[in-house]
Amino acid sequence: MIRQRIPTNGRDHFITSASGCHTRYITSGPRNGLIANRSLDRSTIFAFCFGSLDKEDILFTQNSFFTLCSLSLSLSNPTQILAMTILRFYQRPSSLSIAFSSRHEWSFSGSSELVTLTTRRNQCWRFSPLKSSNGSPLAGASWKDDGKEMSVPKVPDIGSQLAENTVSITVVGASGDLAKKKIFPALFALYYEDYLPQHFTVFGYARSKLTDEELRHTISTTLTCRVDKRENCSDKMEQFLRRCFYHSGQYDSEVDFCELDNKLKEKEDGKLANRLFYLSIPPNIFVDVVRGASRSASSPNGWTRFIVEKPFGRDSESSSELTRCLKMYLIEEQIFRIDHYLGKELVENLSVLRFANLVFEPLWSRNYIRNVQLIFSEDFGTEGRGGYFDHYGIIRDIMQNHLLQILALFAMETPVGLDGEDIRNEKVKVLRSMRVLKLDDVVVGQYKGHTKGGKSFPAYTDDPTVPKGSLTPTFAAASLFIDNARWDGVPFLMKAGKALHRRGAEIRVQFRHVPGNLYKRKFGTDLDKATNELVIRVQPNEAIYLKINNKVPGLSMRLDSSNLNLLYSERYPREIPDAYERLLLDAIEGERRLFIRSDELDAAWAIFSPLLRELEEKKVVPELYPYGSRGPVGAHYLAAKYNVRWGDLSDSS
Amino acid sequence: MAVSFPKCPSSSLPPLQTRNRAWSSPLSAPHQVGDSSKWALLEATKRCHLSVSSATNGGSAVAPVEPSKKVQDSGTKTTPTDHSTKVENGIRPTVFSSNEFQDLKTGPDNSGRESTVSITVVGASGDLAKKKIFPALFALYYEGFLPKHFTIFGYARSKMTDAELREMVSRTLNCRIDQRENCDAKMEEFLKRCFYHSGQYDSEAHFVELDKKLKQHEGSRISNRLYYLSIPPNIFLDVVKCTSLAASSENGWTRVIVEKPFGRDAESSAALTRGLKQYLHEDQIFRIDHYLGKELVENLSVLRFSNLVFEPLWSRQYIRNVQIIFSEDFGTEGRGGYFDSYGIIRDIMQNHLLQIVALFAMETPTSLEAEDIRNEKVKVLRSMKTLEIDDVVIGQYKSHTRGGVVYPGYTDDKTVPNDSLTPTFAAAALFINNARWDGVPFLMKAGKALHTKRAEIRVQFRHVPGNLYKKCFGTDLDRATNELVIRVQPDEAIYLKINNKIPGLGMRLDRSNLNLHYAARYSKEIPCAYERLLLDAIEGERRLFIRSDELDAAWALFTPLLKELEEKHIAPELYPYGSRGPVGAHYLAAKYNVRWGDLGAEH
Repeated sequence: MIRQRIPTNGRDHFITSASGCHTRYITSGPRNGLIANRSLDRSTIFAFCFGSLDKEDILFTQNSFFTLCSLSLSLSNPTQILAMTILRFYQRPSSLSIAFSSRHEWSFSGSSELVTLTTRRNQCWRFSPLKSSNGSPLAGASWKDDGKEMSVPKVPDIGSQLAENTVSITVVGASGDLAKKKIFPALFALYYEDYLPQHFTVFGYARSKLTDEELRHTISTTLTCRVDKRENCSDKMEQFLRRCFYHSGQYDSEVDFCELDNKLKEKEDGKLANRLFYLSIPPNIFVDVVRGASRSASSPNGWTRFIVEKPFGRDSESSSELTRCLKMYLIEEQIFRIDHYLGKELVENLSVLRFANLVFEPLWSRNYIRNVQLIFSEDFGTEGRGGYFDHYGIIRDIMQNHLLQILALFAMETPVGLDGEDIRNEKVKVLRSMRVLKLDDVVVGQYKGHTKGGKSFPAYTDDPTVPKGSLTPTFAAASLFIDNARWDGVPFLMKAGKALHRRGAEIRVQFRHVPGNLYKRKFGTDLDKATNELVIRVQPNEAIYLKINNKVPGLSMRLDSSNLNLLYSERYPREIPDAYERLLLDAIEGERRLFIRSDELDAAWAIFSPLLRELEEKKVVPELYPYGSRGPVGAHYLAAKYNVRWGDLSDSS
Repeated sequence: MAVSFPKCPSSSLPPLQTRNRAWSSPLSAPHQVGDSSKWALLEATKRCHLSVSSATNGGSAVAPVEPSKKVQDSGTKTTPTDHSTKVENGIRPTVFSSNEFQDLKTGPDNSGRESTVSITVVGASGDLAKKKIFPALFALYYEGFLPKHFTIFGYARSKMTDAELREMVSRTLNCRIDQRENCDAKMEEFLKRCFYHSGQYDSEAHFVELDKKLKQHEGSRISNRLYYLSIPPNIFLDVVKCTSLAASSENGWTRVIVEKPFGRDAESSAALTRGLKQYLHEDQIFRIDHYLGKELVENLSVLRFSNLVFEPLWSRQYIRNVQIIFSEDFGTEGRGGYFDSYGIIRDIMQNHLLQIVALFAMETPTSLEAEDIRNEKVKVLRSMKTLEIDDVVIGQYKSHTRGGVVYPGYTDDKTVPNDSLTPTFAAAALFINNARWDGVPFLMKAGKALHTKRAEIRVQFRHVPGNLYKKCFGTDLDRATNELVIRVQPDEAIYLKINNKIPGLGMRLDRSNLNLHYAARYSKEIPCAYERLLLDAIEGERRLFIRSDELDAAWALFTPLLKELEEKHIAPELYPYGSRGPVGAHYLAAKYNVRWGDLGAEH
C-alpha cells in the first residue's frame, strides 16, 4: 500500500488508512485542474481541464468501469476553465493513470484508501486537502447523473487554489561543482522553457558565507541559454536570479535549517509549499542534512522531497546502512535517488523503441540476440581530481549504477504500465535474476602515462590527489548474465574506462547469425562478423542505427553491411535537454520512473559487492594501458571467452 | 584467385557468384583457362568462380557441388513441369540439345579453344534496341563484363550498312557517369564489333546468311549465340523458328531473350509457350522482366535472407499488409497503339508487380540457384487467390489543365481509339492462401499520368499488441505502426519507419525513419536493369528470368478478371492527368482496412 503523506497544521503525519467517509483533495495547476473526490461508497473523480475530453483522451491502466460526462462552464475566472469532465467509477480503482489530452499528462495512483496525484511534464504540481471533508456539498454547479444529484465543489475555490502553490528548491552544497555546472543551469533551463511553476524559489545552502548577490553572481557566470532559443535570455536570467537566494549554515545543524525554514516560509508567503532538497554534497553528510532538513525545514502543507546523487554507499552493507538512515527521516516516496544516465534522451527512448514498435520486441530475447554491449568511455583521466574517484573506482562510479541501470531497462520484461512503480518493479526483477559477478568475468585496468606527438599525458598515479600505489581501476570490463527465460546464456558485456581514445556511451545489440544463411558464401569464414547489430548511441551525437546486410549496387553480388540510420542532430535540430533538467522536473512532478528505488539499489549492490570485496582483498593489480589508448587488451580476451567481439573497436563501428 | 578449379560445368553450379573476376581481368580468364586446359568454356560461363570462393573457404562452409555428379545432372535439371513439356515435345532438333550437354561434349574436345559470344539483336532498328539494349551492351563491354571476343549483330528488315548501324548505335551510347575515361576509345572498339544484317523475320534463307556471317566472325572459336527478340509478339515465333533452324550455334549454346508481352491471357500465353517450345527448350528461353533486374528488387532477397532481423517478421503474424506501387508521371504521349491493346494490368501488374510479390512472399528457397528460386516463386503464384472484379479498381486518365498547360486525356492520344476503355490505372487486392500469408492483403497499384514517378514496396506492420504508449498515438493505432519501405525507383532507398520519442522533456512520440539512402551511401551509379539481365543471359543465370510455369501461374491469376473486364465493358473511373489517381483506390484499400502508404501526409 502506498502511504500518502498528508501534512496538516504544520505537523507531519502519515495516514495509513482513510478515516471518515469522504476524503476530498483538490489538486490544481495553473492550467489544469484535477479534483479527486474519493468517497468510500463510490469513487468519483472530477477533472477540470482546458478543452473538453473524450474517451480517447483517457487511458486507464486497469479496467475500471466509468462514465464520462462533460459540462462546459464559462467562468469569469482568470484560470479560464473551459470544460469539466467527470469520471465516475462504479468500482473502486486500486490504481489508474489518466492522460488528459496529448499535451498534458496526469497520473493518478494509489491504494484503495489513499491517493497520490501526480502530473508529468506540466507545471508544478500542487496538492492540498480541502477543509470540508465531511462530504457535504460545497456550493456550486450540480447536475444529474444516473438520476442522482451530484455535487461539484465551488468553482472559485479552485481558482484560489490555483494561484497558491509554490515550490522551493534548495540546493544543499550550492558552492560545489555539480551545483554550479549542472543544477543551477538545469533549473534555469526549466525556468526558461516554462516548466517551473509560476511561483518558485531557489535556495542555495552551504557552509561558506555568501550573500544572495554573491550566489547570484556565481550562478550567472555559469548559466547558459540553450542554443535554439536565445531571445530574452538576459531578461529571463534576470528574473530567474531574482528568485535565487542563499543561506549559509552547517550541514549538521538543525538550528541552521530552522533558519532556512523561516526564510523559505517568508518567500512562500502563505502559499501551499512544496519543497525539494537537492543534496549535492559528499555522502558522509547525507544523513546529517536529511535529518536537519526533514525535521526542521519540511513543508508544513505540501510535499518535501530529497534528491540524492551517487555514491550510494561503497557496497551492499554501506548502501543499506545509508538507506536505513535515510528512512529514519524519510519515507521511500520522498527519496529521489538520481542516476543522471537515466535522464539521457536515448535511454528514455530505449523503452519507446522497444515497446512502441512492433519490429523490435519479437527480436528481444535469447532467440535472436547473441550479446549486448554497454560501453562507456571517457577520453580524459582524473586530471588532478582523483581524490573522490580513487576511493570508489570505475566499477562503483560507472558500472554498478549507470551501466547496470541501462541494462535493467534494456532487459526488463514489459511492464504493466509506464508508471514509475511498474517500471521499477520490472527492473528489480531483472537485477535479481542476474548472476553475481565473479572475478573471472572481470578485467580491470588503470591508465599509465603516454607520450604522443611530443605531448605527454599523465598516468593515473601521477595525479597528485591519488596515492602512488593506488590499485583503483580506471577501466573495467565485465560480462554479466541474466538467468531468466528471456536472457539465459546471453552475455551482457559492460565496459567503462577513463583516458581512452574516445568519449562515448552506447548500447550495442549484436544479433545472431541468420540460420541457414543463403548468402553464407558472401560472408567469409566468420558468419558472426556479418550479423545485424542495433546501436543506440547515447552520447555524443545521439543516434540509432541498425546494421543490415545488403547488396552493393552493381552487376556483381557483393554484400555489404550498411546502416539504417537515424541521426538525431539531422532529424531533430533542437538541442536535446540535459539529463539534469529532465530529472529535476520529474522530481518536482513526483514522477519516479527514472529514480532508483531502495530495493533496486540493494539488488544492484548484491551483484557487484562480492567482486568489489575480492578485488580489494586480493589486491588485484589492474592491467596498465596507455593514456588515450583503446584500453587493456584483456577486455578482448574476456569478450572472446564468451564468443563476443567488441562492436566499438571493430573497423566499421 | 584460384581460377583453376578444374571442373565447372557451365550452369550447373549455384548461381550466386560474384562477377568481380570475370572478363574484366585480363590476367584471369583466358590465360588461366588455357592453363587449366579442360575448360575453355569456363570463359563463357563464369560460374566457376562460384566454386572458387567456396574452395578458398576450405570448402567447409558450403557443401561444394560434386562436379562430376553435376555434370550428369545438369542436362536434366529441370522442374517437374519442364520435364513434362520436354517429354511432350519428344524429339527436338539435335542442334538444340541442352546447353549443358553441349558444353560437356565440346568442352574437353575444344580444350584450349577460345569461346566467343555473338549477340544478335533482332529488331535492331526499334526503340528498345536503340535506347536500352545497345547502351546496356556497351556498358557491359566498358566495364569488362563481356567476353574477350564477342560480336554484336543487328538484324532487321530495313536496309542498312554496318556503318549506318554503327552511326545509329553511337548516337545513343552513353558512358556511365562514374567512369568517363577512355570512353571514346572504348566506344570505337565496341562499334568495331557491331555489324548489321538485313533480312525478313520469317525467312530462313536470310537467317542462313546471318549464320554465315556469324561464323565468319566467330572463326574457329566455340560459338555461343544470344538472340534478343526486340520485335512485336506476333513475329516471335517466326524469328524463333528461323534462328533455331538456321542460325543456332553448332558447338556452343543458343539462347533467346524474349520481352513481354507474353500473350494477352492464359490461352494466348500458353500458345506462345507451346510455339516457342517447338523450336527451343525451356532453358534456352529467357523471358525478361526488366523489373527483376532493378537493384532493389535484387536486394529484396538479400535483405530477407541475409539479415536476422527481418525474417522473423515476414509473415501474417507481424505484417498487416504489403503494397506494391508503380506510378508514372506521363501518359502514352502519342504511342498508345501497343498499350491500348494491353492496358495497365497486362503491361505492369501481371508481370512486374506480380513478380515482385512472388519474390517478396516466397518461402526460403533451398539455395540461390535459379531453379530453386523459381520453384518457390511458382509455389507462391499458385497459392494465390484468383483475382476477382470486386477486388480491382480501374481508371483512365482524362485531360487536365494546370497552370495554363493542357495535359491530354488518354483518348486524346491519336493512336488510341476514341472510345477506348483500356485502363491506364489499376489497383488490386491479392491474397496468398498459404500458411504464411493467409489474410494479408497484397495491394497493387499501377498507373500512368499520375502525380509522381515511383516504384516502391511498402510493408505495413501490425500495431504493437498491448502498446504501453497507446495514449501517445491518438485514436488510430494502425496509423502509427512500423513500415518498411523499399523504394525501387527513383532515388533508391530502404527505410524503416519507427516510433521514437521526440527529444525533450515531454513524452511525445514521433515517427522517424531508419534510413538507407542509396545515393548517399553508394556513390557509384546503379547499373541499368538491362545490363544485369543481358549479362545473366550470357552467363546462363536464369534466376531473374521467368520460367514457363511461372508465366502460366501468373496468367491464371489475372485471366478471368481480364476477360470479365472486357466482356462486361467495364468503364474505367476517370482521373485527371497528373492527379493521384481515381479515389476508388482508397475505397478498395479501405475494404481491407488498409491505407495507401504513398498517399499519406508523410511518406
